[in-house]
Amino acid sequence: MNSLIIILILVFGGAIISFVLNKFLPILLNSFVVLIMLAVSYFFFSIDAAVQLNFEIGGFHLQWGFTSAGYLFGIIVVVLGFLTLLYSTAYMNGKDNLGYFYMNFLFSIGAMLGILMSRDLISLFFFWEIMTWSSYLIVIYSGKDVDRRGLKYMIFSAIGAYSMLMAIVIVYSFIGSFLLEDIFTSIYAIGFGYQLAIAILLMIGFGVKTAIMPVHVWAPEAYAGSPMSFTALFSGALSKMGVFGFALVLFNLVSTQNWLINEVVAWLAAITAVLATFYAVIQTDAKKLLAYSSIAQLGYIIIGLASGTYLGVMAGLFLAVLHAVFKATLFMAVGAVERQVGTTDMTKVTGLIRRMPLTFIATLISIITLAGIPPLGGFVGKWMLYEALITSDHYYLVIMVFLSSTAAFLYSYRILFGMFLGQEEPEYANVKEAPLAMLIPMLVLSAISVFAGTFPGFIIEPIQKAMLVLGFENRIPNIEWYQLSVLFNSWGDKVVLQNIMISVMGVFLVGLAFITIKGYKNQRYVSTKDISSSGEVIQPEDNMTFQMDFYKPFERAIWPLLKRKIDDYYTDFGKGLEALFDFIRRFYSGNGQLYAIYVMAFLVLLLIAGTKYFGF
Amino acid sequence: MNTILIEILGAIATILLAFTVGMLYGGARRKVIARIQNRVGPPIYQNFIDVVKLYSKETSIHHGWIQHMGPVFAITASITSLMFVPILTSGNWFSNLNFSGDLIFLIYMMVFGSLGMALGAGQTGNPNSAIGVSRGLSQMVGYEIPFVMSMVALMTQFHTTSITGMIELQAQSESWMMFSNPFAFIAAIMAMLGMFHYAPFDIVHAPAEVASGPVSEFGGKYLGMMMTSGSIFAFVKLTLFVDVFMGGASNLIELVIKTFALYMIPVLYGVINPRYRTEQAITYFWKWPAFFGLIGLVWAAFY
Repeated sequence: MNSLIIILILVFGGAIISFVLNKFLPILLNSFVVLIMLAVSYFFFSIDAAVQLNFEIGGFHLQWGFTSAGYLFGIIVVVLGFLTLLYSTAYMNGKDNLGYFYMNFLFSIGAMLGILMSRDLISLFFFWEIMTWSSYLIVIYSGKDVDRRGLKYMIFSAIGAYSMLMAIVIVYSFIGSFLLEDIFTSIYAIGFGYQLAIAILLMIGFGVKTAIMPVHVWAPEAYAGSPMSFTALFSGALSKMGVFGFALVLFNLVSTQNWLINEVVAWLAAITAVLATFYAVIQTDAKKLLAYSSIAQLGYIIIGLASGTYLGVMAGLFLAVLHAVFKATLFMAVGAVERQVGTTDMTKVTGLIRRMPLTFIATLISIITLAGIPPLGGFVGKWMLYEALITSDHYYLVIMVFLSSTAAFLYSYRILFGMFLGQEEPEYANVKEAPLAMLIPMLVLSAISVFAGTFPGFIIEPIQKAMLVLGFENRIPNIEWYQLSVLFNSWGDKVVLQNIMISVMGVFLVGLAFITIKGYKNQRYVSTKDISSSGEVIQPEDNMTFQMDFYKPFERAIWPLLKRKIDDYYTDFGKGLEALFDFIRRFYSGNGQLYAIYVMAFLVLLLIAGTKYFGF
Repeated sequence: MNTILIEILGAIATILLAFTVGMLYGGARRKVIARIQNRVGPPIYQNFIDVVKLYSKETSIHHGWIQHMGPVFAITASITSLMFVPILTSGNWFSNLNFSGDLIFLIYMMVFGSLGMALGAGQTGNPNSAIGVSRGLSQMVGYEIPFVMSMVALMTQFHTTSITGMIELQAQSESWMMFSNPFAFIAAIMAMLGMFHYAPFDIVHAPAEVASGPVSEFGGKYLGMMMTSGSIFAFVKLTLFVDVFMGGASNLIELVIKTFALYMIPVLYGVINPRYRTEQAITYFWKWPAFFGLIGLVWAAFY
């Protein structure tokens, strides 16, 4: 049997079985979902690139099969899906409605794989909808604040879906085929206006999932409100479906000569990145902080893609892969803190580093990757992005990206300090490290982040293959993946990653040895309450950690930008619509006589003006 | 094997040079400030005495392993940045890893240290440390903007992102960058005021407010290592500015003259100024410095 079918049957069948299983044999549920995902990974990684499936439904010719672009994102989905499911087994332990949860979880994984393998717009749309509602059902899983959070997500997803549907209809009416291949070859034949309309409508659809400004407002609450094990997948993989769509639209539907669309998209993404970063800085809840940071990071990815240069697209896709890795780790780490401590409010949680050291290490590595500090993987992506923008004369975009990434240091530090550093709280003295099933996914993903900093080849190679599909030639020299450590920009300037790693590690180890060996025997640990406090004696129950209004001065400095939220504009728009409908309702009062008068008035109008304007 | 040995020796020589120059500059700063305030001031070698004293002291406590590693992070960043900055335009002695990284890498590497330090300061549990870190990071967002603007202006004007490439191009055109793009230079110098954390931008250490901020729980060998790292880092920053704006230096004497001239700008500006509030220190850089940076960018685009 075709392995594409096997994968889909496994995931969707597994989803339904897990729902049933929870009713009868809840003990087996955890191992069942992990095994299903293992089987899916096995079949996914053994897929032959040429495998295709053609069939007809209702007279429409449909086609499935992974392109190398789809396969790249498929790797993210499968790996992250497996790890998040493994994480879920511990994280969701003891919660209700597990069958419901796992069913929707597997449904979204299956839908994502479906999106990536569909080569026609009908199946794309079909799987896109499955993804939307399955994720919606998990967003409202907690049952709290559903009308606000869930409704927002649903409304924006619906807007996205209808725009996509409209685009699909327009495409079909011109080209007469739903197959992406046919569309990509003959899109240039139709008028420019329609081409633009199709691109914009599709980009609205994809933009909702990537949470790009101005259709991002659903994201912070949806990310922060779902169970963290799903948010890791939501932000890591599900939002990448939008990136995948953007890549298709920007490189296959809109010709690259059409720089205006690229510029507009890049600038929207840049504004998204800057504002979302600023909002992340002022958050006090770790989940919300990461949610805003996700929006900002997706902004970089879209900027990279929209820059349209070879290095820019590579940077975008590289950051997409890495974002899946480190943001999933961060959400998992926050989830671990939430599970072990009970809250993620950074004004309450402090000093967990000695209680949860491994979680801290995973968070630290992911934060360094997020901030793009050498020598970890994030730097590689950031470097390519900057070089791509500078060498393609996008000076002002570079400044925006720099502003956003520098401000990102603020929230990066905030999350580390807020949860793990600072004075220890006696209340959390008995907090235990997260269970192994939660630690393993975090540590595996952190290891990938570290590895990518010195040997980016193992990510760049599949990206290179994916870029061939998007219409770029191969510029990677023909070497093994582990030899790839020198990156070039288009002006010929380079950065040698292995030398950086050697230099950093060398100096670090020598310094560490020096500072540790000197006076090692006479040094002892003292608690964080035993500090220089200008004579004031700190009592055990006091906690002096600086947590409230951590970036208040910064907030004051950027206040003019934050005064008005986009959310408010939507609320105003909603209120305006309400007023309009209220006004219209006055004409439909339900009074029959009034309607009769309308009819009479219309007839009179016709009699008077009819001969003049309508010719009768 | 031999080449590796020579490279390591060269690196150590560079580190010693940077350490000595940086320490002497620190002493000179104390002397200059003292003379302006009509004091005698400590001798110029006072910082050496201080650092030797700190290293020889016994440190008996620590607050955890991240605090222990904080100063190491700082010195790693300083020395690694030093390895990638061209010290002299010619000769093999100080070339180190100059050709393995470019300006973008350096901008990021220079941040590494302060973040590592911030982590260490965070674990001490001292509220003053955390306040200092919060101020420092906020201020960084301020001065990085004009700095990056001027650096991007240079990169676009010269069509290279490598520092050695910029030195070569300045030698070819026989004009220093500070004259061929004066606005970028002004923006960068104004950003440098913030980078050095001297008054009026000394909000991070602010002795009277937050009891020297992030370093307040570090003593003995930790403080010694941080002083070492700080003086090396000052040398790195000055050398970088000399390289990209003043055509580099062909010998050590030229290097010392140029860096000292640059170093006196933040020092002298600081002596006559009180301290800004934090939000003032941030928005300061988004006004005139950013404006000059923008002009520098436009200038570079039409150059």
